[in-house]
Amino acid sequence: MIKNKVILQSRWVSTLRFCVFTVLMNAVSIGAVWAAPTFTLEIKNHLFYPAEIVIPANTKVRLRVINRDDTPEEFESYELNREKVILGNSQTVIFVGPLPPGEYPFFGEFNISTAQGKIIAR
Amino acid sequence: MKIPHIKRLLSRSKSYVLIVSLVPLQVLADSSTIDKVYDPYVNQLEKELEYRLLHQNDEDKAKDNVQTHKFGAGMSWSDRLFTELYFIGDKTPDDDFDLSAIEAEFKWQLTEQGEYSSDWGLMFELEAERDQHIREASSTLIMLHQWSRWVGTANLTLAYEWGNDIENEFETAFSGQLRYRYRATLEPALEVYWSDATQGVGPVVSGTQRLGGRKQLMWEFGVILGVDSETADQTWKFSLEYEF
Repeated sequence: MIKNKVILQSRWVSTLRFCVFTVLMNAVSIGAVWAAPTFTLEIKNHLFYPAEIVIPANTKVRLRVINRDDTPEEFESYELNREKVILGNSQTVIFVGPLPPGEYPFFGEFNISTAQGKIIAR
Repeated sequence: MKIPHIKRLLSRSKSYVLIVSLVPLQVLADSSTIDKVYDPYVNQLEKELEYRLLHQNDEDKAKDNVQTHKFGAGMSWSDRLFTELYFIGDKTPDDDFDLSAIEAEFKWQLTEQGEYSSDWGLMFELEAERDQHIREASSTLIMLHQWSRWVGTANLTLAYEWGNDIENEFETAFSGQLRYRYRATLEPALEVYWSDATQGVGPVVSGTQRLGGRKQLMWEFGVILGVDSETADQTWKFSLEYEF
């Protein structure tokens, strides 16, 4: 019984350490989020404007996506590992990066034939 | 997720005969916590149908050729909340397929993807056995961290089981996944499951196939190898998710 209690306490201590560590790590990253530069992307007539966005490499940025259409659209990119639905006539924020220099295509899943774009990190 | 309690019960010799007579083989099969490693994300306007299969192989006949089937239907209510209802069935060599439990799942995305160094979510589950008075409520903290093409996911679960056919108790479980984002159609991963009666590790591959528009099919296949005597030698896992 005592052994079980010791094992249980040890597990809780390990779990607590894990939680404290991850909370501290996230607290450190909050500063980076507040400092993140903002870029705006608009959706009109199932097209992205601008279709190309240049962002600084190795920097986290906020992508403010405004959907001017009446219908929803989904911003999607495997390269960016992002998938986010933006309802009609609404907006959202997508956090991107930090990215190494390169080109990262994205598309609108609901209108894939027209809604295409890319982020260029340089 | 059914949190194991069999080991503790078996250690109580006085109740052993009673337990053997009351607990059918299906419950033994459910004692494994090997199932799925959840990510913390919720996508708005998402609906899905899901099927999962777990198939155990073991030298112990009680755990050999035991299958668990899960059929789920889920939908998101916002960009933060996703719910899914599961019907869970078991099949053993001695018994035909039988619907054994119903489970409700609520996933809550806590942080925006990429907003902080890790992404966070919470999941709450309620499960009720059909033929026995066994209930379980659990909460799971979900953490995901990405390093370039590598993605690490941890699920920490605290569960409480109660009912007339079970000893009321708290249980904890951990499951984790390290996945490499090779391409959308093929992502290899290593999964770990750790709890009181489950210790397993093994390779898993998954992928997503687009079917046009919002429709896509996600699949996963792998095997978890038991590293202690209580866990089945191999637990094969397979799942299909149809999103629309």
